[in-house]
Amino acid sequence: MNKKRERMKEFITHASGSVKLSAIIMGAGHFRYGSISKGLIYLLMEIAMIIYLIGRGFGDLKGFFTLGTQHADAWAGVKGDNSVVMMLMGIFAWIVVAAFLFFYVQNIRGAYAMQKRKEQGLLQKTLRKEFKELLDQKFYVLVLALPILGVCIFNVLPIIFMILIAFTNYGGNIVPPELVDWVGFDNFKKLMVLSKFGPTFVKILGWNLLWAVLSTALNYFAGLGLALLLNKECVKGKAIWRAFPILAYAIPGFITLLAFKFMFSYGGPINQIITANGGTAIGFLDLDAKWSARIIGLLVNCWISVPSIMLLATGHLSNRDASLYEAAKIDGAGRWAQFWKLTMPFMLFSTMPVLLGQFIGNFNNFGIFYFLRGGLYMDGYFLASDTDLLINWLYNLSIDNNYYCVGAAISLIIFFITSVISLVVYVKSPSYREEDTFQ
Amino acid sequence: MKKKLIASVLIAATVLSATACGGNSDSTETGDSAQAGTGSSLFTGELEENVTIQVLENDTAISEGYFQELIDAFNEEYKDKGIQAVDANMDQYLDLANDGPYGYGPDVLYQANDIIMKYAQGKHILPLPVEEFDWYDQVPKSAWSAYETTVDGTTYTCGVPVNVQAPMLYYRKDLLPEDWESTWDENQDQIPDMVQTWSSLYEFSKARHSEDANTYGYMKSLNDMYFSSGFLFSYGAYIFGDNNTDPSDIGFAAGEAEKGAYVLSQLASAMNEDCIDDTITTNAYSKLGNGTYFATISTPDVYSTFLGELEKEYEEEGLSAEEAAKKAEENLVMTTLPMLPDSGDLTDESAELIQSVTMGGVNGYAISSYTKAPNACLEFVKFATSYEMVTLRAKMLGIAPAREDAAEEVGGTSALIYENLDAGNIILMPSISEVSQIWTPGQTFFIDLAKDVYRADSEKKYTDLESMKAGLTDMCQQIHEAITTLQ
Repeated sequence: MNKKRERMKEFITHASGSVKLSAIIMGAGHFRYGSISKGLIYLLMEIAMIIYLIGRGFGDLKGFFTLGTQHADAWAGVKGDNSVVMMLMGIFAWIVVAAFLFFYVQNIRGAYAMQKRKEQGLLQKTLRKEFKELLDQKFYVLVLALPILGVCIFNVLPIIFMILIAFTNYGGNIVPPELVDWVGFDNFKKLMVLSKFGPTFVKILGWNLLWAVLSTALNYFAGLGLALLLNKECVKGKAIWRAFPILAYAIPGFITLLAFKFMFSYGGPINQIITANGGTAIGFLDLDAKWSARIIGLLVNCWISVPSIMLLATGHLSNRDASLYEAAKIDGAGRWAQFWKLTMPFMLFSTMPVLLGQFIGNFNNFGIFYFLRGGLYMDGYFLASDTDLLINWLYNLSIDNNYYCVGAAISLIIFFITSVISLVVYVKSPSYREEDTFQ
Repeated sequence: MKKKLIASVLIAATVLSATACGGNSDSTETGDSAQAGTGSSLFTGELEENVTIQVLENDTAISEGYFQELIDAFNEEYKDKGIQAVDANMDQYLDLANDGPYGYGPDVLYQANDIIMKYAQGKHILPLPVEEFDWYDQVPKSAWSAYETTVDGTTYTCGVPVNVQAPMLYYRKDLLPEDWESTWDENQDQIPDMVQTWSSLYEFSKARHSEDANTYGYMKSLNDMYFSSGFLFSYGAYIFGDNNTDPSDIGFAAGEAEKGAYVLSQLASAMNEDCIDDTITTNAYSKLGNGTYFATISTPDVYSTFLGELEKEYEEEGLSAEEAAKKAEENLVMTTLPMLPDSGDLTDESAELIQSVTMGGVNGYAISSYTKAPNACLEFVKFATSYEMVTLRAKMLGIAPAREDAAEEVGGTSALIYENLDAGNIILMPSISEVSQIWTPGQTFFIDLAKDVYRADSEKKYTDLESMKAGLTDMCQQIHEAITTLQ
């Protein structure tokens, strides 16, 4: 902190007038010290920024706070404000302002650096030289610039938008042409305070965590087991055996889910076999079928996910150090011991990030219960069923009922839960703690 | 000197750029139409000339060739004025609320009343001067009111009803017992009792199943709120209060709605477990075709699917395609729903009979608020809803017109549906957005009701009318919570 203050002090006392002028007219310092083209770029940037701000930037920034003041009335021909578009444009304006500030600071820093080079009698870097650097030492900057821009526009902007929606009253009857307003933490308060929400949230969260852990473990061990089995030398026609799970993987998930839903329905083949043999039809997925539906969900998810884990594990298993197994065998280690002491640590080390990804994916697995058992609201649950995960509940609340703001608030909570779990697990995992074990 | 020159040029450039560009364009625009006034005052009667109207039509109307005939006839009539109607070529599930303000979307749209009226709430469709239509009185008030919205105390009509959709009973004449005229036609009116009263249909269903365990009488999944809620309406239930406009009053448990639930539960007992989920709904076409089911209910627009399945069955039995088509048309009957006993007990022979009431919808035309040619659009709507066009539509597509004169002309089922609408036996889908909250709680209740029939006696939840009333009240409470909790 002190260092920064000293540097600032030094800048104020030492910087030349033209460098200080750069704070008002960008590029002034560069012009003064001979870098005309770079100065011109900074100047054009400033001019462009002023044009943007006056043209729409100030309006967009204001709109970000007001979210519109004019109610649309198509019958009267009043176009009105669209709060959602205004919020998006407001976020965009903030990003532009942040980018401009970055270049603004670079402009002053650059000018001051040029002043220093001049005082030290060094040659100034020309624009051409800096461009050359971009193609050489700073090539990574050039290569990463475009993807970062893309990520900002296509990833960061929607994420920020979604986060901000959680702090508005967007949804229900408040959709364009109605004007949206900022409501602070009201949506979160609603989630905590409403008596109906609390019990449902706790029940669904509990099942969601159990589901995520069970399904991830089941998929992982089933996939690994299958890979180990098909890796055995005694297995003949490995390519054909491996092709079957890939077929299951290749069929789009929702089609598989609808097929399983039909299989377990009252008129499906399983019940037909049962009734044909004199039994009574079983409601595997109906409203009384809490645990059978949950177990079917786990198994169907396994069917869909195991092939990818098997492929991943097959690849990793081929990198195993065979000599370790030889040594273990000589030392008298049995198959289980070899699996737990050699295979598992190696696999966990190399697949922990994927495993975490699987965990998050399963935690937010929307499709399974939406397709298998959607359209039920159970007693004791608020607008949800006993197999719904948080993501399904979020869907019921936000899409079915149009409460986008509450949906956004719940997704922020889901994000918080999953990121905390992932971070803790990752930091405690061998992949992080013993990074060089298998290198 | 040089430095000063550079500095002054820089300052001048900066100041110039700041002052040269114009002010922020206001995001609120007041178009020409604002001066013209609000809503229907846009319809001055002066046709905009040389305009193209984009019309979003129903998929079936397009595929069956009716729409082409309509626009050809319209374009010919208005050729000299330069007004041309074209297919908007857009998805049925358009989003006029978000696309319209930006110049996308059709000028005229043909959709169900609940979809159209969703747009009316945001004023995305124009109020129409419908009283001017010379055939205004030909359409029942209930159909017009499905398109009404109230803004600042004034009621506007935002759509023009064209056809009515309501559940119909489908059955196969050739599956009737050979001696039905003597055993199943008590009143000797040459119409089988089992398609006239639910009590007889229930009795016949049990008899048919006991004769052959693989066959059934009436079959229909209970989980479909659209079809099942009609049984509740028949005994005094309603969707929302104040003519379906007040979502604070949810009426699925009103009146003696529990009797409707009891009827459903009795009917479910003559089916099998397939009535709990949507198995029967999915299988109905083929199972009615192969004779496993005797009757089911569905909407009139799927008549051709039922007919196709039956034709296939007859062809498999060895008939030629032509004979099979003829026989299928003779034997597949689509008619209005049977009558109900006022006691709700399908075994009560002494009960008075009451009319079945059903949920229904009415499809019609609306005009986008964002059209540049409202008068030409209105002219198109008038043309498309004229007696000739609606009659042609009904004949080509088999729909039931909302116009009395057209319904009479077409006759048959269309006339029956019209009569039911006119008599108030079709409760039209509410036109307020809250209606989207009724489906899942309703579906859950009806699944529970159907499941209960197949639960062990000790686990049954709906053992008497009181418990059914309590279940319906819970369902209303759930709908109420879904609507209000987060508002």
